[in-house]
Amino acid sequence: MSNADANAPRPPQQGSRRGSYRLLFISIAALFTSVAVMQMASAAQDPALDPAVAAEKWSNLWTTVGIWVAALLTLGIFSFLYKDNPVYKVCESIFVGASAAYYMVNAFWTSLVPKLIAPIAPAFTKANLLPELTLPASDQAYYSDLALAVVPLILGIMLLFRLLPKGGWISVWPLAFVIGTTAGIRLLAAIETDVLAQVSSAGSSVIVYNETTDAAGVVTRTIDWAGVGKGVLSVICVLTVLTYFFFSVEHKGAVGKTARVGIWFLMITFGASFGLTVMGRITLLSQRFEFLLKDWLGFG
Amino acid sequence: MSQDSNDGLFARLGRIDRRWIFLAMALAIIAPILMRLRFEEEPQRMAQATFDTIEALPAGSKVLMSLDYDPSSEGELQPMANALIHHCASRGHKIVFMTLWPFGTPLLDKTVKRILLEYHPQLKYGTDYVTLGYKPGLEGVVKLMSSDIPKQFTTDKQGTPIGEVPLLAGVKDLSGFQLVVSVSAGYPGAKEWVQFGNGPTPDAFAVIGGTTAVQAAQLLPYFPKQMEGMLLGIKGAAEYELLVQKAYMPERFPERLEDGRIRMGSQVFAHMLMIALIVLGNIVMAAGRARGGAK
Repeated sequence: MSNADANAPRPPQQGSRRGSYRLLFISIAALFTSVAVMQMASAAQDPALDPAVAAEKWSNLWTTVGIWVAALLTLGIFSFLYKDNPVYKVCESIFVGASAAYYMVNAFWTSLVPKLIAPIAPAFTKANLLPELTLPASDQAYYSDLALAVVPLILGIMLLFRLLPKGGWISVWPLAFVIGTTAGIRLLAAIETDVLAQVSSAGSSVIVYNETTDAAGVVTRTIDWAGVGKGVLSVICVLTVLTYFFFSVEHKGAVGKTARVGIWFLMITFGASFGLTVMGRITLLSQRFEFLLKDWLGFG
Repeated sequence: MSQDSNDGLFARLGRIDRRWIFLAMALAIIAPILMRLRFEEEPQRMAQATFDTIEALPAGSKVLMSLDYDPSSEGELQPMANALIHHCASRGHKIVFMTLWPFGTPLLDKTVKRILLEYHPQLKYGTDYVTLGYKPGLEGVVKLMSSDIPKQFTTDKQGTPIGEVPLLAGVKDLSGFQLVVSVSAGYPGAKEWVQFGNGPTPDAFAVIGGTTAVQAAQLLPYFPKQMEGMLLGIKGAAEYELLVQKAYMPERFPERLEDGRIRMGSQVFAHMLMIALIVLGNIVMAAGRARGGAK
């Protein structure tokens, strides 16, 4: 397609049709929502109604509005399955925007206020932002908290240098700090729980016993051959898969054949993982349908 | 039927609009929901181990329940969270709730209100259960809790200083709990509770992980030595729900403990449809190859 074609105005018919679809969707959504709100409002304003019941109905009103909004947004996202359309784009943007806003507000109140603003200005924070804040007991405690808050503040400001046209290199230092500390913290835990403990488990699973106790209380141990079979198989799996990822030796002869067995085990693992993923996705879809059918439409 | 008409059918099936498949999948999932189908589940080893671990604890044991998920995984994890909470409360355990996920707070509050307070209205806040809420810091939160909980949580979610909460009296670190349960959708979650919570004190408390099916492969190696109980996806939830229902059937709203089994009905129908489509797709492809036309 040439540039001239790409910049050519869209046929008026297509544009007006899109506009009509959009208008239709918004009108239907507005109509259903207004009917639901009016029904709930008129019910809540009934003079014969007990005040406690009326208050409950008002709170139910907002629940109803929330359900309607959620249902319409769900349908808007589902509409992508038919084809890409403006309604889907609107719903997608609402989802992304609402999520980002929630994260930002949450980060402000759970991270910035208690961990940065409070140590720097405790009295101001307690008076204006966080009434339940416990003020530092002494000047020493205040300065200790302040020092712990100033370091991340400086590192955070250094990170923002990435946005400037010059001086982007300054942001590399806090990044290096973050990556270094994260690697240090995670490495030890991973070695303990994912390497040493797993090697120990794999070794001890090769010989498995069944223990039976007779009437006299004598314990008899017999070899559990099924358990031994599973243990040996798991050790073979581990060794063959590790061989496949061992690239220092050329995969020829015995090494090549072992690595090939490792590939089979890997494929079985990926297949099982994919199956589990499909199961998870179907569950999420069924939960959405349950919401539409039960909470929104009232079936069941 | 003539050979031509057969060829025509296969050719048409090969070119079928994928939206018909979407529609068929939607119907396969909706039908069991509308028919209220519940299949009998046979509890497997992991669900049984989860049930037995909670049963084995003496009544009054302290349980830390971390609901580490958000609404995007609610469909898969909420059923197991409901059953775990009801089970722990029915056994008389004291529950401390928290979450490592920012979006987890509303779900946590909803679950406490909808399950704990509906099924066990006699429980008192502060002595029978406590909500610590959300703390930012990912695995750092777990790591600090393994050595100093009051330093990590200075107050509970209501703003009460942690030292004034009766349930947490004497609980200095994670070893003050007999059981840690993490219902998790990913990072941070059950894996981090094993790596950073259970690491320094491996025998101080039991760990149970409830996970989405997607992250099952990451957690399976931890069972049963590093994680005494595990519930994998909706299947694990359905099996465990059944065990809990048989032992502790709630008097009101029993259907709230059946979500896992209801969703397993949709699973069965959807899987049958998928298998049928795979078989059909292969037949269409084989027929196309036999004709030497379609690839």
